[in-house]
Amino acid sequence: MNSLREATFRIGIFSPLVILVVYFLLLGLAQGPFFDSTEFVKTLGSQEILFPLKISLITATIATLLATAVALPAAYALSRFNFTGKYLIDTFLDIPIVLSPIALGTLILMALNTAIGRSIELRGVSISYSLGGIVVAQFTIIVAMSVRLLKAVFDEINPRFEQVARVLGCSAHGAFFRVSLPLAKKGILASFVLAWARAIGEFGATVTVAGTIRGKTETIPTSIYLAMAGADLNRVVILITILVIISFSVLLLIRIIAGVKS
Amino acid sequence: MIRVESLYQKKGSFSLKGINLALSEGEYVTVLGPSGAGKTMLLEIIMGLHRPESGRVFLNGAEVTNLPPERRGISYLPQDLAIFPHLSVRDNILFGARMKGMKRSEIVSLFVELTRLLNLEGVIGRKHISTLSSGEKQRVALARALMTRPVLLLLDEPLSALDAFIKRQLQIKLREINRTVGTTIIHVTHDREEAFMLGGKIAVMINGKIEQVGNGDDLYYRPVALPVAQFLLNNCNIFKVKMIGNLPDGNFYLNGDLPLIVAARDEIKPGDHVYAGIRPEEVMVIRSDRPFSSPIMENQFDCLVIDILKKGGTNSVFVKPAGKEVTIEMELPTYAFQDLSIRIGEHIMVSLKKKSLWVLPDQDRQPVKFSEQTETAKKIKKIF
Repeated sequence: MNSLREATFRIGIFSPLVILVVYFLLLGLAQGPFFDSTEFVKTLGSQEILFPLKISLITATIATLLATAVALPAAYALSRFNFTGKYLIDTFLDIPIVLSPIALGTLILMALNTAIGRSIELRGVSISYSLGGIVVAQFTIIVAMSVRLLKAVFDEINPRFEQVARVLGCSAHGAFFRVSLPLAKKGILASFVLAWARAIGEFGATVTVAGTIRGKTETIPTSIYLAMAGADLNRVVILITILVIISFSVLLLIRIIAGVKS
Repeated sequence: MIRVESLYQKKGSFSLKGINLALSEGEYVTVLGPSGAGKTMLLEIIMGLHRPESGRVFLNGAEVTNLPPERRGISYLPQDLAIFPHLSVRDNILFGARMKGMKRSEIVSLFVELTRLLNLEGVIGRKHISTLSSGEKQRVALARALMTRPVLLLLDEPLSALDAFIKRQLQIKLREINRTVGTTIIHVTHDREEAFMLGGKIAVMINGKIEQVGNGDDLYYRPVALPVAQFLLNNCNIFKVKMIGNLPDGNFYLNGDLPLIVAARDEIKPGDHVYAGIRPEEVMVIRSDRPFSSPIMENQFDCLVIDILKKGGTNSVFVKPAGKEVTIEMELPTYAFQDLSIRIGEHIMVSLKKKSLWVLPDQDRQPVKFSEQTETAKKIKKIF
């Protein structure tokens, strides 16, 4: 009787898991009828693919570096210090995570239309419909997420380590650089990779701020959009495959970094 | 050497209430109190992790209340040790010495001396601290704290997670360090036995206040406040009584939970409501086959044995005096317990020695609730 209940329970738990895996595999295999291996190899090395790939890799890396540089001290401040308005700021930083990327992109465009925005562009910093715009869009999408991820990393580190370091002779910044940062290393790396993966896949804000100018502001996701609009299904398949390979490798890397065994 | 003056600090609903504490150079002071008494908060103020709302901290005559932790010359060993997991054993031990910029020759000689003193020669080459046993981790953290030649070492329950054998070894080691190295130590613990065993001065801290400072005997025989007595006795053998009057021999007669005769004292007068108490070790069993001496002539009660807890070397025997609602706990060495052949359900005569009874005024204070209770205390609660 017990073994029957145990088996029923296991079936109930594992069935949705199997269904999910099959569902996503079917989605992946849906590319099959449109897949032409000869055309695939030929197109893979073309500028049509290499350009958006290069732009995506460069802009995502710059945006993630900038986002991490800002998010790291901000997350540490939120994790370690109590100050007036902390909960308000913490909640406020969640808004970019829940807001639609197109809405965020529109807000960036509107901000560029203000006096401050115009003065930035007048100083030669090109944002709208340029590579700078892609970086700004990706940065805006991932920075709040980076703060959230890095705050969780610092929250996990016992403040006692820093306290002991202080008593043993470290200044506040000495304790941060010699103790907190090395202890947060894995978490920071995992957060970087996750933010980078999110930036690579970013579409809504990017297309709103930087558009999809062929050979200028094309990223992999916007290139998929362009290819779809032009019914170039072969290019769509290649771009999706590249995106899937990048996403899978990155997520697998995070699990390896975090030491999580599935 | 270190002086803490009128320290006040509030955190949520808890507060430190005017803490005063003074230590001479080389002294070993144990701050004993239940969990939540404010012991860790006191240490954190002394080491500079928190600034007090009022009050001052002096080290070697100089005020350090506003100095950052790194400039106080103090070392700290927390309960969770906080050994840095990203550093090797050697780098952990040397961390403070390097931060303080000590001379290389001094670091080398002190490192050799401490690893020998703490028997760490076998583990200093290890890369990962996860390979250390709990006792080794304790000694590594202690070596790290001592490597800076601190003017004051603060120990926050560093032995509470250890098994009894390693705990005893390290207690002995701490006394040895205090004697040989001469480090001034404030050791925080909730463990009464540990506080008494470490010797030196004991400061009993309850609910944010240091209630009594003295040596083990002072606390054992002469608690000066009811919360101290309640904490040290686990709320056992404390009787609510009223001073009835003087006896012809000069002793006082008290009655309430139990009729008691105590030695005369100035602080109480007829009609006063007081608390009287006695340590379980001081309760005597009267043997009918032997003449009894004068110390146990008074305060004899015919009691029913209601429970026995065997604790290896000693035994706790709980008895109920005939016609009374209170329970008396006795602590008997096993040899005496076996000799007396005490069994549950039997009647025995016990005496609460007059000279061992302490009397404290009823300050209209609610009994203090302690979150940390020994197994014995839990058992007693069950009995009631």
